[in-house]
Amino acid sequence: MRLTLVAALCAATVPAGVCAQSGSSPPWIRLAGEAIPVLTGTNAVPGGAATAEARLVQPVLMVQAGALADRVRLDAMADLEGWTIPNGELTAGAYGEGFYDRRHPHTYVHELMVTLPDVLRDLGGPAGLALAAGKGFAPFGTDDPMGRPPMLYPVNHHLSQLLERAVAVAALRTARDHVTIEGGLFNGDEPEYPSEWPNWTRFGDSWSVRLTVAPAAGLEWQGSRAHVHSPEHRPGAGTDAEKWSTSLRWERGPRYGLLEWAQTSEAGGLYVFHTLLAEGAWRIGRHRPYLRLERTERPEEQRVSDDEFRSARPHLDNSIVGATRWSIGTIGYGYGAPVAAGRLTVQPTIEAAIARVARVGGGLFDPAVFYGRRTLYSISFGVRIDWGMAGHRMGHYAGAPMPPGMAMPGMEHQVSEAR
Amino acid sequence: MTRRQMPFLFLLAGVACHKDAVAPPPPPTCSQTSLLDTVPIAPNYGIHDMFVRDGIAFVFAWNSGVLIYDVGNGVKGGLPLCPVLISSLVTSASGISGGPAVHNGWWFWNPNTNEKKYLFIGQEGPAIGGIGVGSAGLIHVVDVSDLSNPHEVAYFHKAGTDSTGTHNFWMDEQKQILYAAYYNGGVVALDVSATLSGDLSSRLIDSLRIGGKGNTYTWGVHLYNGSLYAIDMLSGLWQLNANSGALSIAGGGNNESARYSSDCWVFGGYAYSGTWDWIRRTSQSGAMLKVWQLGGTGAPAPVDSIITPSISAVSDVEVSSNGKVVMFSAEGGTNSGLYFYSLTNPAHPTFLAYYPVSAGLHTATFGYINGNVYAFAARNPGSPALMIWDVTSLVQ
Repeated sequence: MRLTLVAALCAATVPAGVCAQSGSSPPWIRLAGEAIPVLTGTNAVPGGAATAEARLVQPVLMVQAGALADRVRLDAMADLEGWTIPNGELTAGAYGEGFYDRRHPHTYVHELMVTLPDVLRDLGGPAGLALAAGKGFAPFGTDDPMGRPPMLYPVNHHLSQLLERAVAVAALRTARDHVTIEGGLFNGDEPEYPSEWPNWTRFGDSWSVRLTVAPAAGLEWQGSRAHVHSPEHRPGAGTDAEKWSTSLRWERGPRYGLLEWAQTSEAGGLYVFHTLLAEGAWRIGRHRPYLRLERTERPEEQRVSDDEFRSARPHLDNSIVGATRWSIGTIGYGYGAPVAAGRLTVQPTIEAAIARVARVGGGLFDPAVFYGRRTLYSISFGVRIDWGMAGHRMGHYAGAPMPPGMAMPGMEHQVSEAR
Repeated sequence: MTRRQMPFLFLLAGVACHKDAVAPPPPPTCSQTSLLDTVPIAPNYGIHDMFVRDGIAFVFAWNSGVLIYDVGNGVKGGLPLCPVLISSLVTSASGISGGPAVHNGWWFWNPNTNEKKYLFIGQEGPAIGGIGVGSAGLIHVVDVSDLSNPHEVAYFHKAGTDSTGTHNFWMDEQKQILYAAYYNGGVVALDVSATLSGDLSSRLIDSLRIGGKGNTYTWGVHLYNGSLYAIDMLSGLWQLNANSGALSIAGGGNNESARYSSDCWVFGGYAYSGTWDWIRRTSQSGAMLKVWQLGGTGAPAPVDSIITPSISAVSDVEVSSNGKVVMFSAEGGTNSGLYFYSLTNPAHPTFLAYYPVSAGLHTATFGYINGNVYAFAARNPGSPALMIWDVTSLVQ
């Protein structure tokens, strides 16, 4: 919380243009931020009703800094969703951390990582070694949905990323970063509420590895594997999750594409959930259409009587009452425009999704009973307000520093940086 | 409205549009219950059930195993006001994913031998395929002839083409038969006479999937007046013939389709069953205590029901030994806690008392100790605990 206040104070007092990023000797600091006021209407609501809500989502403030000739770097991000969406964001199919069909708020300290980006730099060898530690992403899976074109999260967030953990990462990369292999140790428990820190006593009970190959500019393949101990029971009495992920990512000029597959196996293989996702965006001047196709299986858990968007947390032992498969098509369009002398990019966006929900296997959960229908829709209108969030692919601490001006996929904005 | 104004409009709308559901007012509380003690249990998931007999409380605490407390027996100077731990034992995981998962138990007092040697423990493994579909877990037998040195001596695993696992027990102590609810496996009758050692699979007398395959997920059993009553989450309340362990259907069944059933207790010609509404079976809200009258043949027929709003389950039901009060635990909502209803008219219980417990209570049972009546209850995580109330004035 204190970090949040410090970041907010800094953001208020330091003009973005003054904040500097540099790969050279002087220490540097760079501030950035983002927020999306969004209005969403959907019928993915327990009981068969439809509802609409306006919320401020993804309000984040980011600090990046470097010192000692860039031998030490800091990546910090404060996320204020605990204040703006304490009951989550209406998102058809989203689940995790005790929420269903509402994407959960992230923790206030979303990321706080110290990185030694090139430990072997002075040796002049062909390979690079990076070390990073703090609170952040385990090296697993694909980029966080916050940094991708659609406004609303996909269903597969908890199958495809591991975040907000106390993590230590080591990464070895070849010259020109063609091949990077990362290994991480972290705590398995996921957060239960926004102000919660990782359970430090569990640090090291889970691990992940990720191999990334970048054979050509803009093209990237990754394969990941993770073992996560008791992710949904903080003291550690829950069952383990075995996770796999592979993806192909392409970003060049105005075009962006991602194809990913992931699987999570829980309780020794008793429950297995898969996801297949493809998304793409194309920037044409200020116009940015995008598309996402997803097919993801999710566990269905016991719901709380007073709020059927919520599952029982902490768990009461057996809580899975079935599984569903969500087949969702999402289409969106954004129009990006620089404002405030280019320091901000404002991008009004409209996004629509249609989902088909099916039971997987048996179980008590029947979507036709729970939602009153099997075909669901969601439509959102929001304004992505971006202040220099370019160049930060969260969860990639170990690679070479991001090239200045690198944009979030498919987005057009100016980076608030200066040397 | 200009483009510049739009973000501010959304901000204002975000503040203004959130609308919380209005919860019904909680039931009135009653001072006739007095909380004596709260004994924290390690959050290893926590505490699931208790079995109280002769001033000894067996606390079934998931992967922390079984905890044996003196709550008035005197062997360790314990009282309901101040339970004293005698010993504990973590039973074998038996290869079940999730660990020992110690869930429930029964301390067998054998009237034929006067032995108080065996404690039967139910292991509630993962619900394979989800609740209502599959299950896993064994029955573990622990020698507690020396309460300070419990040790596991035997186990029972129900073989079959599909995985099944145990839930609540009832014993015919005179006939030395353990009846176990077995979720998708239905009901199991096990010969527990003489010395128990090693694999007890040869002791299986009978088993019965009461609702048929795909319609059976049996929560509990209760022996009453020569019949075994089995409550099934999917197919409701059944009356079974249990002639020396041979199981057959006598009556009832497929008699609760609006909700999933939970626990059951039978007394004085009536049965009282709860419902499990963590996922609604239909559009009905809250959870229910259902009252059944047992006809001349013992077949159950519904006569009344009590809906408690803002809870997700009536998770455990028990009638006091004098038949004056039915108690049930409730969890999963703002009205979670412990409820007492008078059975002055056993067909139509009337509200007596409610003790709120916001985390919810998973199970509850009466303990009769030195002339007083106590309610023992299992408080849910995050701060799981054994809670003990003196309910003497309420029950007597």
